[in-house]
Amino acid sequence: MNMPENDKQSLSMVTCTAPVNIAVIKYWGKRDEDLILPINSSLSVTLHQDQLKTTTTVACSRNFQQDRIWLNGKEEDISNPRLQSCLQEIRRFSRKRRNTGDSTSDVSGVSHKVHICSVNNFPTAAGLASSASGYACLVYTLSQLFGVESEQLSAVARQGSGSACRSLYGGFVQWKLGEQLDGKDSLAEQVESESYWPELRVLTLVVSAEQKSVGSTSGMHASVETSQLLKYRADVVVPSRMEEMIRVIRERDFPAFGELTMKDSNQFHAICLDTYPPIFYLNNTSHRIISLVHRYNQYYGETRVAYTFDAGPNAVIYTLQDHLSEFVQVVRHFFPPEVSGEEFVKGLPVCSADLSEELKRDINMEPTPKGIRYIISTKVIRGQCHTEAV
Amino acid sequence: MPENDKQSLSMVTCTAPVNIAVIKYWGKRDEDLILPINSSLSVTLHQDQLKTTTTVACSRNFQQDRIWLNGKEEDISNPRLQSCLQEIRRFSRKRRNTGDSTSDVSGVSHKVHICSVNNFPTAAGLASSASGYACLVYTLSQLFGVESEQLSAVARQGSGSACRSLYGGFVQWKLGEQLDGKDSLAEQVESESYWPELRVLTLVVSAEQKSVGSTSGMHASVETSQLLKYRADVVVPSRMEEMIRVIRERDFPAFGELTMKDSNQFHAICLDTYPPIFYLNNTSHRIISLVHRYNQYYGETRVAYTFDAGPNAVIYTLQDHLSEFVQVVRHFFPPEVSGEEFVKGLPVCSADLSEELKRDINMEPTPKGIRYIISTKAGPGPCVVKDPNHHLLGADGLPKKTV
Repeated sequence: MNMPENDKQSLSMVTCTAPVNIAVIKYWGKRDEDLILPINSSLSVTLHQDQLKTTTTVACSRNFQQDRIWLNGKEEDISNPRLQSCLQEIRRFSRKRRNTGDSTSDVSGVSHKVHICSVNNFPTAAGLASSASGYACLVYTLSQLFGVESEQLSAVARQGSGSACRSLYGGFVQWKLGEQLDGKDSLAEQVESESYWPELRVLTLVVSAEQKSVGSTSGMHASVETSQLLKYRADVVVPSRMEEMIRVIRERDFPAFGELTMKDSNQFHAICLDTYPPIFYLNNTSHRIISLVHRYNQYYGETRVAYTFDAGPNAVIYTLQDHLSEFVQVVRHFFPPEVSGEEFVKGLPVCSADLSEELKRDINMEPTPKGIRYIISTKVIRGQCHTEAV
Repeated sequence: MPENDKQSLSMVTCTAPVNIAVIKYWGKRDEDLILPINSSLSVTLHQDQLKTTTTVACSRNFQQDRIWLNGKEEDISNPRLQSCLQEIRRFSRKRRNTGDSTSDVSGVSHKVHICSVNNFPTAAGLASSASGYACLVYTLSQLFGVESEQLSAVARQGSGSACRSLYGGFVQWKLGEQLDGKDSLAEQVESESYWPELRVLTLVVSAEQKSVGSTSGMHASVETSQLLKYRADVVVPSRMEEMIRVIRERDFPAFGELTMKDSNQFHAICLDTYPPIFYLNNTSHRIISLVHRYNQYYGETRVAYTFDAGPNAVIYTLQDHLSEFVQVVRHFFPPEVSGEEFVKGLPVCSADLSEELKRDINMEPTPKGIRYIISTKAGPGPCVVKDPNHHLLGADGLPKKTV
């Protein structure tokens, strides 16, 4: 743990990074809107920060007049209730520590104002949920500055953005729904670390930009209010899927992992369709990607590749290292990119591969030129949030 | 009375309607008897705009059963067709043996020639199996003298939703409890004259790649969707009660909302199927969006959509809102300038749209997204065509040249 800078101006400063996570069993719907408690548990895979991360610097000084925040270069409104929630909670935990006399870092600053600056190394237009990595990073950085124990961070991050609590851990992470009304048992915990399944690979297929979708917060609220199928999903389907997902991860059973991931993605979008008015996050290209995955798997007679979609048209593909090159080539073939322009595959290098004519013929789909803007190739992260040396 | 000439040829021609479900049937509990996992409810559409016409001829001179559909001879050994033929013959023999006969039933041991046409194109994507099987079964029953109460079960075994096309107006197909399916029957909820202001528009969307067929689609859903059982056991029973009530109360906003919700839930089940089934395309989504924005503008449900296993929309509305909504569709889905007429069927008056309405709906127009519209309303059940000139088969038992 680094010590915050402390110079004549009594300025403390800490910088940290936090990862993005992609759910394989989805969170969609709250039982408590203020504490952000979910109606069902969820499980995610934390992605490697070399490809996707949020970086946040927090400075604290007695000379600051007010709390301020800059996101991706632009000053934002600090009075946002979610931000306030995080700030208040962290300060509360910190004061509690100070009062009990337990202090390993400079906590005198907790009564001072903070300046927060946060950037993502991936574009917002990529449609990757940056609120999870953003709030996880904010909360973690504040905790480093003010000396708050990591066990308490889940609850704080969760109140910024539900899925943020899952970004506090690496590898495979579950967010337990909890039973208590005060949400103290609604926390994230690691299921297995990333080194557990080193062959697992993740591709994000960034689909061409289209009209703005319904935001997650209002979308899931509408689903809770109007979908008659959602309660059954939360009470009956998800609990058994959580057990199954944990089991197939521990067994490193990719076909079962893949099938369950696809089914839960589809069921989430089914709930969106069962909402009134209905919500459509998947577009034409998303449908084609789904079709491509099923045909590819059918060709080989096994689940080698799995898709999952969040509240937007971008696909996240899970596969094993062995199949990575070929599947990327398949995507390139059926979604031919712009010839010039940015590189099509970013992130971890992917070897080239040849596709057999038989495979192309069997998949039997019309190519969709420029349907996918680019691909980010990554893997499961080694650790969780990092504190950077300053 | 069937025609009966020196050649001992009996012939009957009937027509039967299309029906559009507002509470959907999707999933069987018995594949052979075609028994559903939940009840369903539909509106029977008027035959002036949409119907199947079937002629059945019966003669001792026919060597074998034969069938022509829309001008083309088809395979009579299709299990569903065989099912209908066998069942009707069984019922007819039972009647003959009990000595109860008001029509010529001697022909039941003879072979039949069947000729059937639709007055709407197959490409319209309107489920013609319902009207087709209903018409076949009804026509056979007229020829062989089978009581109408027994027809539900026979039509159902040809195509589930066909039993709902045996009645006019608002029709429910009760799921039934018995394993032999004898209580899985259609019955009229209210006649077509009960709600005369109700109007129906079919929006025929531009043709695209073929979707998954209904029979295999619903089978996959029963096998793989964990949400379907809950829908069938819990959601649909209460929706059936509610739908019957709102129809009897002629409560359009409630009728419309429930119709849209059930259409959406059906498509949600398709998405929860593995592999997932997508029947709604981009244009379908835009139509859905248009309806919600239009209703939101007026602060009430004036228009409702429902979609079956395909991208075409069926719109329910009241006569008062018909002209304006058709104009709204024309504005946001501008048709080809030349070419076929955009609105077929019942005439629709023109209407002006306020700038405020167009601005508020705030959608990009989708040129040629909708090929054409059929304007219709609720209508009666099957009937016999008395005019012998309308027989589709000639005296030789073969399709007339004009067919």
